[in-house]
Amino acid sequence: MHGLILRRRIGRGLVNLLIAGFALFPILWGLSSSLKPTERIVEFPPRLLPDEPTLEHYARIFQDDAAFYILNSGLVSAATVVLTLILGALGGYALARYDFRGRSLTMMATVAVMSIPIASLLVPTFTLISVLGLYDTRLGLVLLYTAYQLPAAIWMLYGYFMSLPVELENAARVDGCSPTRTLRKVVLPLSKPGLVAAALFILVFAWNDFVVAVTMTSSQEVRTFPVAIYFYLGFYGREWGPLLAASLVSIVPIIAVFVFLQRYFMSGLTGGGVKG
Amino acid sequence: MAAVSFEGVSKRYGEVVALDALDLEVREGEFVSLLGPSGSGKSTTLNLLAGLMDADAGVIRIGGRDVTALPPERRDIAMVFQNYALYPHLTVFENMAFPLEARKPKPAASAIRAKVEQVAGVLGIGMLLARYPKEISGGQQQRVALGRAMVRDPTVFLLDEPLSNLDARLRIRMRRDLKALHHAIGSTIVYVTHDQAEAMTLSSRIAVFDHGRLQQYATPAEIYDRPANVFVANFVGDRETNFLDGSLSAEGEELAFASALGRVPLGRPRGALDARGPLRLGVRPEAVGVLPDPDAPLRVTLAELSGADLFLTIRAADGLEVVARADPRATRVAEGDGVRLAFDPSRLHLFDAGTGVAIAHGT
Ligand SMILES: Nc1ncnc2c1ncn2[C@@H]1O[C@H](COP(=O)(O)OP(=O)(O)OP(=O)(O)O)[C@@H](O)[C@H]1O
Ligand SMILES: [Mg+2]
Repeated sequence: MHGLILRRRIGRGLVNLLIAGFALFPILWGLSSSLKPTERIVEFPPRLLPDEPTLEHYARIFQDDAAFYILNSGLVSAATVVLTLILGALGGYALARYDFRGRSLTMMATVAVMSIPIASLLVPTFTLISVLGLYDTRLGLVLLYTAYQLPAAIWMLYGYFMSLPVELENAARVDGCSPTRTLRKVVLPLSKPGLVAAALFILVFAWNDFVVAVTMTSSQEVRTFPVAIYFYLGFYGREWGPLLAASLVSIVPIIAVFVFLQRYFMSGLTGGGVKG
Repeated sequence: MAAVSFEGVSKRYGEVVALDALDLEVREGEFVSLLGPSGSGKSTTLNLLAGLMDADAGVIRIGGRDVTALPPERRDIAMVFQNYALYPHLTVFENMAFPLEARKPKPAASAIRAKVEQVAGVLGIGMLLARYPKEISGGQQQRVALGRAMVRDPTVFLLDEPLSNLDARLRIRMRRDLKALHHAIGSTIVYVTHDQAEAMTLSSRIAVFDHGRLQQYATPAEIYDRPANVFVANFVGDRETNFLDGSLSAEGEELAFASALGRVPLGRPRGALDARGPLRLGVRPEAVGVLPDPDAPLRVTLAELSGADLFLTIRAADGLEVVARADPRATRVAEGDGVRLAFDPSRLHLFDAGTGVAIAHGT
């Protein structure tokens, strides 16, 4: 009996390890390479670990103003997350709880819009952004990211709100709350897991976006980190060292946010509110 | 001035008529139960009163004020939901303070604290204030839900089956507590239940619903002794009422009812008894007397002892069944015995067999 459980545990552990290794290998390989001196990165046969680790590539990207681009990316991403969550929560709540004219049409449109590839929208939105005078501005990026991610955010939050017991909102209304106060005091606090999931989804998109940023911006002042990273592929040939170092640095904030918000994934916040 | 009034209020969901032209008045300080089987429109009535849904027709007034078009937050009512609907992210204290926090202008924090603590004291939940709803028992949650309603001193309390999630013992205790509470605070209460015993013990008046229609609205005694129709007679009471189909047969001064069980003397029932059509006689089990008689064609097929009462199911030759309630210590009858029946004329009810409407009652 005991042996069986132990064997099953070991088996499961091995499978997990295999999956983790498969997913993490490119990142670990990148990390290892980013610590090698330039001439060792592309040597053949490749070595698994650097024999004389160096931080020169990391020093280099920060000399190249990486901190400034990271800040830019952070500002744009944070603003996108906040704006998209606010609009997504309002939209998702309206769809979940109000029976208005054109509700199902709105829902269908929301889903339909999600399936349009961003690449096909680049040209028209470029024109739009230029006409609005938002070309080469952070605000332009924030508005575009919000527009791209809003349907998905609405959809995710709609699903989450639908899963909340409506009695709590009824109770809040009877207790004297207006609809917006009900949303603020009852619905949103109970929706933390849903909001966090949506926020991470939006954040990953905004933080990683390259195509939109490179199309809609040109000057260095508004350049985001992914665009800056791309420059190591550009003018001076392929600079693998700084490229890998910058890529790894760009992963760190996302991982940090995931770890920080992890406890909210575990839901169960609504437990005990409504019996039966 | 009526505390609550419905005037011709209707509500439908698509094809389903959930509430049909309801007229109902609740007086100041009354405890009114809305009683009926599942799907009869009780919750619909309560939700319309709370403003959680809109009426399709009619006018609803609270304290004389027309609230038909007002949103719930402007009706000044308190509601206890069937599932309590405590806010899971807030402590018991914060749950109870919630309606006060929502007030405009917002009361001072000290005033809120004082009020919550006072109500918590009345309900005996003072020691739970720092806990979260999931950390307290069902009965305690129920009290917190009541407390959240009480802190507001509302015009009207609405309670939707607040005891249905509790176990039988606790339910009876809470029933007593509720009644005591009503006496103590004297508020108007509208109470939804499908438990007729609960309605009988708690209410000053009961509104009996079936299929979205108000069947009868009267005191518990009136509902029990003089049910307005077959449905009410059947629904109110611990056991189902016995019904016999037949017709009137006059014999001198005495009226009688001719049925498959033979002649049933009716005494002198009140009400106009010139009805000639087919009739239905209603007899509650406690109005059926059972006398042992080995030669009688009626047989006891089932004897159920439930502590204080002995319920006897008696079958006539043609398959007709009558249930009688007897005193187990005074009755010497066992399953299989032959018996004679005697109906108490003062507790008989006569209905029109076609419409089900009551024609006369023994009292
Ligand atoms: N949201 C809804 N959509 C469609 N029909 C509904 C809805 N709510 C209630 N109904 C219907 O309206 C009628 C009355 O429902 P209501 O909830 O008032 O019954 P109830 O007396 O409270 O029953 P219960 O004792 O089961 O709570 C029922 O036939 C029910 O199926
Ligand atoms: Mg109901």
